[in-house]
Amino acid sequence: MKAMKKIYVIFFTLFFIACAFPMNAQWSSGTAYTLPKGRMEVGLFQQIRYGQTETREWSTHPILDLLIPNLTVKKAWNTFADWNFTTRHNMTYPTPLLRIISRKGTDGIISPEFDIPQMISLRNEVLLTRKFKPSFLITGKAGLTLAVTSDELDERTTIDLPIIFPRLGVYYDGYAVNFGLDVGGDLNPRFSYLTDVDIFLLPGADEYFAFEHKSLIIWNKSKKLQIMFGYKLVYGEYPFGTQWHLLPLFDIQWAREFKKKK
Amino acid sequence: MRFVLNEKIFLPILLLLILCSCEPLVNKFDDIEDAVLYKSNNIVDSQYSADTLLIMTWNIRFGAGRIHWFGDCCGDRVIMTEQEVTTHLEELAEYICQVKPDILLLQEIDIESKRSAYIDQIQWLLDHTYFNYGVYASMWQSQFIPSDGLGRIDMGGAILSRWKISDAERIALPLRGDQDALTQYFYLRRCIIKAKIELPNRADFYVLDIHASAFSTDDTKKNQFDCLKGEMDKIKDIQGAIFVAGGDLNEIPPGSDSTNYCDEDRCPEDEPNSCRDGSDFTNEQEWLNDLYDSYKSAVPLDNYHADNSHYFTHGVVNTDVVNNDSPWNRKLDYLFTNGDWVADSDSTHQSTYKLSDHAPVSAKIVVK
Repeated sequence: MKAMKKIYVIFFTLFFIACAFPMNAQWSSGTAYTLPKGRMEVGLFQQIRYGQTETREWSTHPILDLLIPNLTVKKAWNTFADWNFTTRHNMTYPTPLLRIISRKGTDGIISPEFDIPQMISLRNEVLLTRKFKPSFLITGKAGLTLAVTSDELDERTTIDLPIIFPRLGVYYDGYAVNFGLDVGGDLNPRFSYLTDVDIFLLPGADEYFAFEHKSLIIWNKSKKLQIMFGYKLVYGEYPFGTQWHLLPLFDIQWAREFKKKK
Repeated sequence: MRFVLNEKIFLPILLLLILCSCEPLVNKFDDIEDAVLYKSNNIVDSQYSADTLLIMTWNIRFGAGRIHWFGDCCGDRVIMTEQEVTTHLEELAEYICQVKPDILLLQEIDIESKRSAYIDQIQWLLDHTYFNYGVYASMWQSQFIPSDGLGRIDMGGAILSRWKISDAERIALPLRGDQDALTQYFYLRRCIIKAKIELPNRADFYVLDIHASAFSTDDTKKNQFDCLKGEMDKIKDIQGAIFVAGGDLNEIPPGSDSTNYCDEDRCPEDEPNSCRDGSDFTNEQEWLNDLYDSYKSAVPLDNYHADNSHYFTHGVVNTDVVNNDSPWNRKLDYLFTNGDWVADSDSTHQSTYKLSDHAPVSAKIVVK
C-alpha cells in the first residue's frame, strides 16, 4: 500500500509540474514552429514530442498517459507576412487520475465523498511566431478549450492550487479560453532564455481569471541536451479569493534524430 | 527592428526570483505572534458596564454541527456545502444570542477552509450577533493538506467581545511529540490566544483561550497545560489584573468516575478491543491538578465529583455504546480565573447537542 501511495504522489506531482511547462523554449514547442521530421524531444517533466513531417508534430506525456491519457497534434500552416502560423489541438481524459486521487488517507487530494464522472476536454490553439534578428522570437497564442462530462462535477471537488485550478476549471463550466505571449532568444552561444505570460479565463465560473508568467534560463549543452531552470509567477482567482504564488521550475530535455527515409 | 535582452539585468533578477520561489505550504508560526483583530460591520453601543460579566467557552466544531465528519466521528463527510455551514452558523448564532455572553471563547473556528466553504466564521458570527470585536489565532494554516481531500485550511481559536480588544497575542504551544516529521509538518499547531479586553469599568482584564491537543499519546498535553499555567501566573503577578482562562483542554477533571473511553470512541471498522489515540485518560488524571489547585474553576471540582454527568461537555455518537439521546460522556471544556465567579452561576449547556460535539460552558465573573 505504501508503494502505491508513493506512485499516486509521483503521478500527482508530475501532473502539477507538467502543467507548469505548457509552453516551452524555442528548442522545442513553445513557438509556432514544429519539430523537424524525425526529431524527437523528451523532458524529465515535459511531454515527449515527435516530428512526423516537417509540418506536423505529435506529443504526449508518456508517464502521465497511464492515468491521464493525453495527445496533442501541432500543424504548421502557411506563413503570413513573416509570421509563422500553427494550430495545436490537444485531447485530455483526466477521469482516471482524478478518481485515483479522490480517496481517503494521507494521499487523498479530492474528498472520496464525491463521484468523479467521465470527462474529456479538447483544447484548440492558434500560435503565431515571428523571428527577429539577431536571435529573438516572439510568439502569440490564443486558445479555446471545450469539455464534456457524463455527469455534473461537484464544485467541491476543485483542487485549489495554482496552475492546476485554472486547467481543471473547464470541466466544471464546459469551456475556457486562454491567451499568451512568449519571447525568447539567445543570451550567448550556450545560454538562451524564455519568458512568457499566459492568461486563462473561465467565463462561466465565479473564479474567472488566472495569470501565469515564467522565465527560464536554458543551458544548451548540445543539440541533443538542454537544462532549464527558472521560476513561475502565478496570480489566480480561487474559491477562497485571490492569491499570488512564486514557484521554482527545472527540467532537462533530450533530443534524438531518427534517420529520414529516402 | 532589434530586440536585445540585457543579460546583466535579466540573470540577477531571475536568480533572485528562483531563490524566493519556494513558498512553504504550511505556516509554522513564531513562538509569539500578533493575533488577528476583527471588527463587526454593525458596531453596537459597548459603553454599558456591569459588576459581573457572563463568560462562555465553546468548541463549535467549525460549524459542522453533528455531520458525520471523517476526522472525529467515524464518518465519511469531508467538504460541507455553503448551505450546510450557514445553517449551522445560524443555529450557533441563535443560541449565542439567547445566552448572551459578554465574552465568548471559541475553539475550532474556520476562517478560510475548504471543508467549510471558505466562510470566515468569525466575521460571520460578529455580523450575526451583538459582538463588536474579535481576535483570532490560527492553529492549522496550510495552503493544501494532501489528505482525505481536505485541501486548504485555516482553523483556530477566537475571542469575541462586546468591548475593544488589545494586546492580542498568539502564543505557540508545544507540538505533539508522538508524530513522524511529515505528519507533524501538516498537522495542527496548537496555541493560546492572550488578549486584553478594554472594559469601561475595569483595567487589566485578560482572556486566555486555549485548545489543547486531542489525540496525543505522550505528555504533549501536560506540557501545554504547563504553558497555560505559566501565562496565567504572569497575569496574576500584574498588580490588580484578573483573567479568565478557558477552552477545550481535551482532558478530563481529576477524580473522574470514568477515565477510559475506548468503547465509546471506537469506530465500527476498528478492531474489537482496540483503543483510539486520545481515548484513554487513565494516565492523565493528575494533569489538571495544578490548574485546579492554583485557580478557581467555574465548575468547582466538588460539584463535578458529586455528579459527573451533569457537567459533561463532549460526546460523539460512533457506536451503539453511546446513547443518542444523551451523548455527553466526558468533561473537556473549562473556565478558570484568579478572580471570583458568582456562586452557582455556572452552566453546562447540554441542550446544544445538535450544534456541535462540545457543549458550551458559561459562568459569571465578578469584575468590580
